[in-house]
Amino acid sequence: MNILRGALWVLLTVLCGPAQAGPLQVTDDRGMVVNFERSPQRIVSLLPSLAETVCELGQCHRLVGVDRYSSFPASLRQLTQVGGGLDPHIEAIVALRPDVVLMGTSSRAGDRLRALGIKVVALEPKTHADVQRVMLKIGQLLNVADAQKIWRAIDAGVSAAAQSIPPEVRNTRVYFEVNPGPYAAGESSFIGETLTRLGAKNIVPAALGPFPKLNPEYIVRAKPDLIMIGQRSMDGMAQRPGWQSMRAMREQRVCVFPAEQSDTLVRPGPRMVEGARLMARCLAEKAPGAKQAAEARL
Amino acid sequence: MTVPTSEPFIAIDACDLQARLGDIGILHGITLALPRARWTSIVGPNGAGKSTLLKALAGLLPHHGRILLLGRPLVDWPSRARAQQLGWLGQNESSGDDLTVWDVVMLGRLPHQAWFSPPSVADHAVVERALKATQSWDWRARTLGRLSGGERQRVLLARALAVEAEVLLMDEPLANLDPPHQADWLDLVQALVAQGKTVVSVLHEVAMALHADELVVMAQGRVTHQGRCTEPSTHRALEAVFDHRIEVHALQGQWVALPRISTLQKPNHAN
Amino acid sequence: MNARRASWLVAGMLLAALALSALGVCVGSAGLENLIGPFLSPRRDPAATAMAQQIVWEIRLPRTLGAWGAGALLGLAGAVAQGLFRNPLADPFLLGSASGASLGVALALAAMGGGAGMLGGSMMSGGVAVSVFSSSALVRLGLTGAAFCGAVFAVLLTLALSRGVQHTLRLLLAGVVVGVVLGAMTHLVLLFSPESLQAMQAFMLGSTSFVGWTACVLMVAVWVLCTLAAWLFARVLDGLSLGDATARSLGLPLGPMRAALVAVLALATGTAVAQTGLVAFVGLAAPHLVRSLVNTTNGRLMLLAGCMGGVLLMAADTLARWLIAPQELPVGVLTAVLGGGYLLWLMQRNTRVARGAVL
Repeated sequence: MNILRGALWVLLTVLCGPAQAGPLQVTDDRGMVVNFERSPQRIVSLLPSLAETVCELGQCHRLVGVDRYSSFPASLRQLTQVGGGLDPHIEAIVALRPDVVLMGTSSRAGDRLRALGIKVVALEPKTHADVQRVMLKIGQLLNVADAQKIWRAIDAGVSAAAQSIPPEVRNTRVYFEVNPGPYAAGESSFIGETLTRLGAKNIVPAALGPFPKLNPEYIVRAKPDLIMIGQRSMDGMAQRPGWQSMRAMREQRVCVFPAEQSDTLVRPGPRMVEGARLMARCLAEKAPGAKQAAEARL
Repeated sequence: MTVPTSEPFIAIDACDLQARLGDIGILHGITLALPRARWTSIVGPNGAGKSTLLKALAGLLPHHGRILLLGRPLVDWPSRARAQQLGWLGQNESSGDDLTVWDVVMLGRLPHQAWFSPPSVADHAVVERALKATQSWDWRARTLGRLSGGERQRVLLARALAVEAEVLLMDEPLANLDPPHQADWLDLVQALVAQGKTVVSVLHEVAMALHADELVVMAQGRVTHQGRCTEPSTHRALEAVFDHRIEVHALQGQWVALPRISTLQKPNHAN
Repeated sequence: MNARRASWLVAGMLLAALALSALGVCVGSAGLENLIGPFLSPRRDPAATAMAQQIVWEIRLPRTLGAWGAGALLGLAGAVAQGLFRNPLADPFLLGSASGASLGVALALAAMGGGAGMLGGSMMSGGVAVSVFSSSALVRLGLTGAAFCGAVFAVLLTLALSRGVQHTLRLLLAGVVVGVVLGAMTHLVLLFSPESLQAMQAFMLGSTSFVGWTACVLMVAVWVLCTLAAWLFARVLDGLSLGDATARSLGLPLGPMRAALVAVLALATGTAVAQTGLVAFVGLAAPHLVRSLVNTTNGRLMLLAGCMGGVLLMAADTLARWLIAPQELPVGVLTAVLGGGYLLWLMQRNTRVARGAVL
């Protein structure tokens, strides 16, 4: 009888296990080790990419509160908003009685929340490699068995976007402007990595850092084949001194990304597939050699 | 109140002058006639309204009542013409420390200068005269900030002289001046009056004020007496306004006011 | 005496400006480079010469001269502000124009970022390819116009709050209040659109990145206009240095002239800020630097402060482009270092002299 009860117990544990398994230990990006008795059921997220990751792993229902900038998927808007990532409402978070708060590494709120007895896991993905690492870590935290599979699907999506680009368009020299300044996205930034995977060349080498503030003359002299800009940079671009002489401007090889699309491009997160697809489409349509390739195919 | 009848002209004629500072009334209905080509001194205890009266007469303060300058209502004078005829020297006014003495005195020529023209030869001559008259010529290239109090006062006086106005109103012109320079100032005023100019000064040095031609005695926003400095009635009025704490005596041809110290003698009204 | 010294100073500063513009033209995204070669022997390498010509003429020259223009405007505005308020710590942004310009730029950035229905919204067709080349008035107005309008609006608000220009102290207080309130509103706008923060920072620290010939010519033209006006009204500032009462006794129409000077201040500051952002310290330091070299009345000070401000900003801009080429430092950081450093040295020298006099 005891053996049967024991076996039943083991069977039940195995069946109901994944969602409620035993103690967990997670090391966050600040090197802090956080212990959990069981997988957290009530989660507050203070970084949009982390909320997106949670939802991508199919655990959207566990989110009880998000920051005001988390907008994807749309269902997140129904949740309680607890301020921003850098200025969260401590009271509101405590009122939600979360099991864990996921936040970026650059906020001071972590110490305050920990002092109030709330568990905090600080993760901030900055590169492609980070996206995978964070996804797997959150998958471990939420006891999602197929996190690795989900990541591989995303990775494959990016590769597919890269392959969708015709070979004549490879090695296009691209200039990506993030903000008027002009602040460019360098090779070592997230956008830069995506561009590299798509086979394009960035006129801003990795040595200058992820988002350098450039001398506009540098861009003119580098003679990019294609310009990608966020909507904010659009203002007056044609009137910038010396820019009209650039081939990319003369031939109108400019892609403008509206704000919502900019988010997918800039935010390191599970939506990087969408970002890659946007840039691939831009390359396929506007890069020099694209027209010839399209015509050749007809 | 006696009005001198020997001169045909009144430089400044005030009728029922009233002025307020915020809610407080300072001048209560002053009627005054200041004779031309004379030196008139306004005296009175602290808070009598002397500076306010002078400012109002110069047209620098909003007031009720009528003021005539050289026969014309003050409000009818265009500001430039008025500035050319009426010179003003204020009390304790801030001054730009960075300007040189020469530049400060040249500012006195502003009413005479056209908009676009630089200072003319005549302007230079006037400034030189004014500086020499106040013994400030030697340090005309020094900046105002590097002068002592007395030297600065002399420069400001030169600035007022440079205007070459018909009527000169001076508020405490002897501030910071040592006795030799006070004597110099007296000579200056006598010379101006001899040229036919009118000088009106507010002085709290009663001894110096007694050298004037006319004396206007003020107390609590009203004029209690106006008359020649040589007349006994003026002396009595002066003593009265200072609560008989001073006595006016003749000394070597000048009138002097001596303080009456209470431990020596009781006030004797028969004197 | 002083007139001769002042003329020497003007000549000196013009020479410095010339030298600096030659240097500025040689400094670009590759640091300092020798452009004399291609210019002297054009036939040797026509492609390189053509490139050099285009870069120098279209990009570097208007930028360098534009830096002079902006610096001159700020220097002039600083001299006017210090004369109007009789305060050596006054700078051109005292009447709230800095905060007004910031608010204008923040609103413009937020509007451009929001896809639906505002400034850029009607241009967006949801697709990737949109016309950057449209010359619709609002788009052309863009950040430059927003900054200028914001600055002028702030000054008007200050004037309204202080109910005219008669009381200098009230004007000053109103300016501070407007500056603080508009600054807070700017922060509020940025809170709701944090993606604009980087662009906002570029504006707040100043840069001549996008100054072309139009902007350059505009700034120099406005500077000439403002200097003439300021020189005309400079006698009011001279008279005011003797006090309000004395100034009025000299027949100076204080009210209208003060209002005209405030207008000059607003125009000069607004124009400079619209083109190059908020460059700190030039307006404050330039008049002081002039006064440390020559004592002069306000009329000549206007011209001298402008020239000094131009030289200062030109030097700072050249350094900003040179030090970490092809990246750029914000020019405001360098003006603070250069101008502030010189003032610090001046203060040190004065205290040493004073102590020497005692000993």
